[in-house]
Amino acid sequence: MVEQATKMKRLINAIWIFNWFNSCGFTELIPLVGSRWDMERFGMIITGTPRHADVLFIAGYQTLKSIRRAQVIYEQMPDPKAVIALGACTMSGGMYWDSYNTVKRLTDYIPVNIYIPGCPPRPEAVFEACMKIFHHVGAVPPHGKKFAKAHKG
Amino acid sequence: MAESLHKESKVIEDISAKFKIAGKVQRERRVWVTIDKDNLIMLCNFAKGLGFEHLSAISVTDWPEEGTFELTYHLWSYSERILLTIKTKIDRANPVADSVVPVWQENAQIHERELHELFGVEFEGNKDLTPLFLEDWNGPPPFQKDFDWKEYVRQQCYDQANERERAYYD
Amino acid sequence: MTKQMNEKELITIEHIEPIIPEDTDYNFYFGPAHSGSGNFGVKLRIDGERVTSARADPGYLHRGFEKLMEYRVPMQNAVLSDRVCVLEALNWNLVHAEAVDELTGVEVPQRARYIRVLMAELSRLQSHLIWYGAMSLGIGFDTGFKIAFGYRDYILDLFELITGGRVYPAGYICPGGVRRDLPGGAEDKIKRALDQTEEMMQKVKDFDNIVFSRRTKGVGILRTEDAIRLGATGPVLRACGMGTDVRKDDPYEIYNELDFDIPVRREGDAYARYLIMGSEMEESIKIIKQVLERLPEGKVREPAKITPPSRVKIPEGEVYVRNELARGEGCAYMRSVGEGAPYRVKLRGPDLLHMIPVLEYLLKGSQIADIPAIYWSLNICPADMDR
Repeated sequence: MVEQATKMKRLINAIWIFNWFNSCGFTELIPLVGSRWDMERFGMIITGTPRHADVLFIAGYQTLKSIRRAQVIYEQMPDPKAVIALGACTMSGGMYWDSYNTVKRLTDYIPVNIYIPGCPPRPEAVFEACMKIFHHVGAVPPHGKKFAKAHKG
Repeated sequence: MAESLHKESKVIEDISAKFKIAGKVQRERRVWVTIDKDNLIMLCNFAKGLGFEHLSAISVTDWPEEGTFELTYHLWSYSERILLTIKTKIDRANPVADSVVPVWQENAQIHERELHELFGVEFEGNKDLTPLFLEDWNGPPPFQKDFDWKEYVRQQCYDQANERERAYYD
Repeated sequence: MTKQMNEKELITIEHIEPIIPEDTDYNFYFGPAHSGSGNFGVKLRIDGERVTSARADPGYLHRGFEKLMEYRVPMQNAVLSDRVCVLEALNWNLVHAEAVDELTGVEVPQRARYIRVLMAELSRLQSHLIWYGAMSLGIGFDTGFKIAFGYRDYILDLFELITGGRVYPAGYICPGGVRRDLPGGAEDKIKRALDQTEEMMQKVKDFDNIVFSRRTKGVGILRTEDAIRLGATGPVLRACGMGTDVRKDDPYEIYNELDFDIPVRREGDAYARYLIMGSEMEESIKIIKQVLERLPEGKVREPAKITPPSRVKIPEGEVYVRNELARGEGCAYMRSVGEGAPYRVKLRGPDLLHMIPVLEYLLKGSQIADIPAIYWSLNICPADMDR
């Protein structure tokens, strides 16, 4: 555990994010890529394939159909990896708490490292969360954690 | 402003000359007509001939105490600039209606496919009523009035023993 | 033994037949995790370089808005209505507010009507900036993407100043008017943001002929009768030669008092849609300037005091309102039986038709390399389709 943390401290100077921009968080993550809140100066870039990514952003509410795809993407990402959950909908169901098709407790499906509150959260809040990932790498879950609810196929 | 409702009244006159309807002009550019379900397709063809070539929406309203589904077809005419709404009722226990795909083709087909999935209405003549939004859904058609979402969500997703979630059970 | 093996090897090698592939058909899933598609999937069947058929796969964002609205009173629904389509939140706010206003029969004050039109046109401007950015990204013009999203932030700052939220205005356009008045100094800031948008449009005009016309001319052509049959509305229909706009044909709020044009083109291809986007942005700027000149004084909400949710009652009746969203025709059918919450709300967005019938029709027969140009030129929003 300590060995993994030391290894990661050496590797993580920059985090690469997989391009799974879904639902409402999409409109606050795209300005992050743009020129005003430029995230590339912090070392964060968007990749097109999960094999290159370190971090998966669950950027908003997930429906049962899209959480299955997110689980497949999570499994394809190599270790060490982290999941950042954006928005009120990932924490408690948010505004769609009484909808039959959304996921209320995200940790049943994917282990989450950081929650960012807001609807949607401001870009500054997203940067603060990413800084916490850089500084607290010891808190990333070890390899091989099982899901509570498995996806089908 | 009686002259500005002249076009709308003419639409009702033209339709009542051929069909037995209950019609009213709600305000300018809005005409509402209620008809029996057996004459629905003939009225739709006639309306398209009058210039109502754009099908804006099809909707279903669920009346469980009456035991009916009310279908509403909202049609817009680009040339006359009038919105005509056709309302009709079908039996809730056996919800079968004629499809308007022969009249408005793909536009109608996609609206009927959505309503079939969400309300359970069978549209005869629509060849593709496969589910649109939901994957692996085994429950009742979700938008019907007797499917209580709050109850369903409490059973499936929330845990009464969890202190944070107890508020949803009050 | 070695000699025997050599002979055997020679014989085996001579008798291997080369495999020439004759089958060049394959299925390609242009799905939700693809960088080019957003939360929406299309199943394509491709033969060589040409698409033979396309089938849309929606439903990744279905939340069931229409029934969620049956559990809430109108003021709560106003906050929920922003989230129908995240890219043009204020326009959907307006659709819902107009439906409830018509049912209750309330007389919205003039100042509130002008502010509603101002916010709706600002929202249309920022939605078209997203369209420009997404289309540039699809075509491969990264600079356009960065410029568009950079300048869009000036408009989001305006939203934050006036409504409190950059993306979601928390139901700013509510039944009865707007929630609160414009703060002091807002008018100068709006004029400044308009100047900056015009500056951006001037900058990108030079790139028109070089980048966009070569990749989008003659691509994804839609004829008028096909467009009407497939249910296209808004800029997609205006690019096919049909000069129709809900703001002129079926006016709502104070659009019948303003002076603006409707850009129309005849070609029906992706380049025509792109040019209409540019002209519509200019018209929106014209409208906003007129609104700022004529803004009257007065109240901004009728009634000024909000009734508590347990005592709200909507009168019985049914209405159908039509609005012109940035993407097309957005409508709401609302039926009430005299209770606090509406009995049935049906939201009709332009994207259900643009993403399923129109997209499947346009992709069939096109080349793989043209797929991003066609896809992004339709200005789609998956959240509006699934609701």
